[in-house]
Amino acid sequence: MQGPLIDSLTRQGITRRTFLKYCATLASMMALPPTAGRAMAEAMAAAKRPSVIWLPFQECTGCTESITRSHSPTIEGMIFDMISLDYQETLMAAAGFQAEEARHNAMKENAGKYLLIVDGSIPLAIDGAYSCIGGRSNVDILKEAAAGCAAIVAMGSCASYGGIPKANPNPTGAVSVADVIKDKPIVNIPGCPPIPVVMTGVLAHYLTFGALPELDDKGRPKAFFGDTIHDRCYRRPFYDQGKFAKTFDDEGARNGWCLFELGCKGPVTHNACATVKWNGGTSWPVESGHGCLGCSEPDFWDAGGFYKALSTPADPLRFAAAAAVVGAGAGVAVSFANRAKKDAAKTAHETTTLADLEK
Amino acid sequence: MSLETIPIHAVPPAAGLSGNAPPLLHELHAMLRRLLDTGASSSIDLSALPLTPADLDWLRDKLGSGEIAVTLQANGESTLDETQCSGIWWVTHRNPQGAVVAQFIEVAFVPELLQAQPQDVEIGLDYLDSIRADL
Ligand code: SF4
Ligand code: SF4
Repeated sequence: MQGPLIDSLTRQGITRRTFLKYCATLASMMALPPTAGRAMAEAMAAAKRPSVIWLPFQECTGCTESITRSHSPTIEGMIFDMISLDYQETLMAAAGFQAEEARHNAMKENAGKYLLIVDGSIPLAIDGAYSCIGGRSNVDILKEAAAGCAAIVAMGSCASYGGIPKANPNPTGAVSVADVIKDKPIVNIPGCPPIPVVMTGVLAHYLTFGALPELDDKGRPKAFFGDTIHDRCYRRPFYDQGKFAKTFDDEGARNGWCLFELGCKGPVTHNACATVKWNGGTSWPVESGHGCLGCSEPDFWDAGGFYKALSTPADPLRFAAAAAVVGAGAGVAVSFANRAKKDAAKTAHETTTLADLEK
Repeated sequence: MSLETIPIHAVPPAAGLSGNAPPLLHELHAMLRRLLDTGASSSIDLSALPLTPADLDWLRDKLGSGEIAVTLQANGESTLDETQCSGIWWVTHRNPQGAVVAQFIEVAFVPELLQAQPQDVEIGLDYLDSIRADL
């Protein structure tokens, strides 16, 4: 195992054994076959640090917080060292003209090769004047930076689908990255905020294969967004038995029953909270007694009230009707199709090579 | 206030046996056979399978414990325990907060993670050089 990446980790006191363990767990979370960890470790160790430009637009910085404050010091943070973050307004020391110059230099030197990360939505009303940086509108800066990039990662629900800025009546005319850029590969990592390991997983995939992972019909990596919260929720046995909490302090709530009637959007929400959890695996919203808000689905803010039960029971046969309520119809079929595929990959418990993974 | 005083059961009582664990014993049999015949190691990702906590307990209990139990401190604790079947290892990876992040059953003469990596050995060699120079 050799290369620039592992060398830089070694300098920080990370052994190859630690790195192997990390890759094994990451491969498991990404639903890759169990022996993929080794192949990933080899490929990532040797990866060259790709140049990354990170543009924050109409956003609250929650996404940046989620990623950079995932319990430290973690390897998540170190994976970040695997990229050459050439422009990130929140993190960088440079300001003003110096900062803009750093962006232009990175764009010129790595033309056609850099990865563009965007968080926040892009306001289009009154010529984009609602959000400007250095006197230029977000939409202008996005188009310029996208022209020379290899691929775009839309971080968080705002960049992926417009998010909260786009909530009715959308005063700024906010849109997603994919609404503006049509000619580049885009991966959406929705969530309000997104789960840190999903971001690391996509970066790891990019470093390993030099390409974006397989996406669903809403542009999300299937490995993390293939199942609904409800598919993997530990309260599911209660849902199946028809045991529902009716208020937040009744007996059902105290017994940990299903939160469907309290407005849980788990049945129509694709995300990895139920398996990956939050805060270093400590807990996740449903485990804390609150229903899922559906934050990783388009327009979750306008989906009819966080405490209003989905209008149709989420019986798989009638799923499409319930899903339509929050505009998630197509995603559901995809999740079932994926699951078969993922399971097939997982039952192949044999040694995996990089070539197998690229299929 | 301690967590115990909050009257909410965050995790429901064990959902019971799902019936998904016994087939894994047949699979392990085939994997162990292959290890003997070809030397090829393999593993099962337990978090990828629909197993309840009760299933995992059942499996762990059936496989028993062997002579070796290894603790690895690497970005959180990992345990690599040999089962009663020599060559079958129960591997649990935890993160620095102590949460289980992955769980595997590995079939190998020695799990790969236990072997020293040549480049790490080189670093050890350099270190020995430096302390020898100070003698
Ligand atoms: S409705 Fe919500 S709480 Fe109930 S099982 Fe589904 S995801 Fe879990
Ligand atoms: S449980 Fe639902 S609302 Fe909460 S973070 Fe996960 S996907 Fe978003």
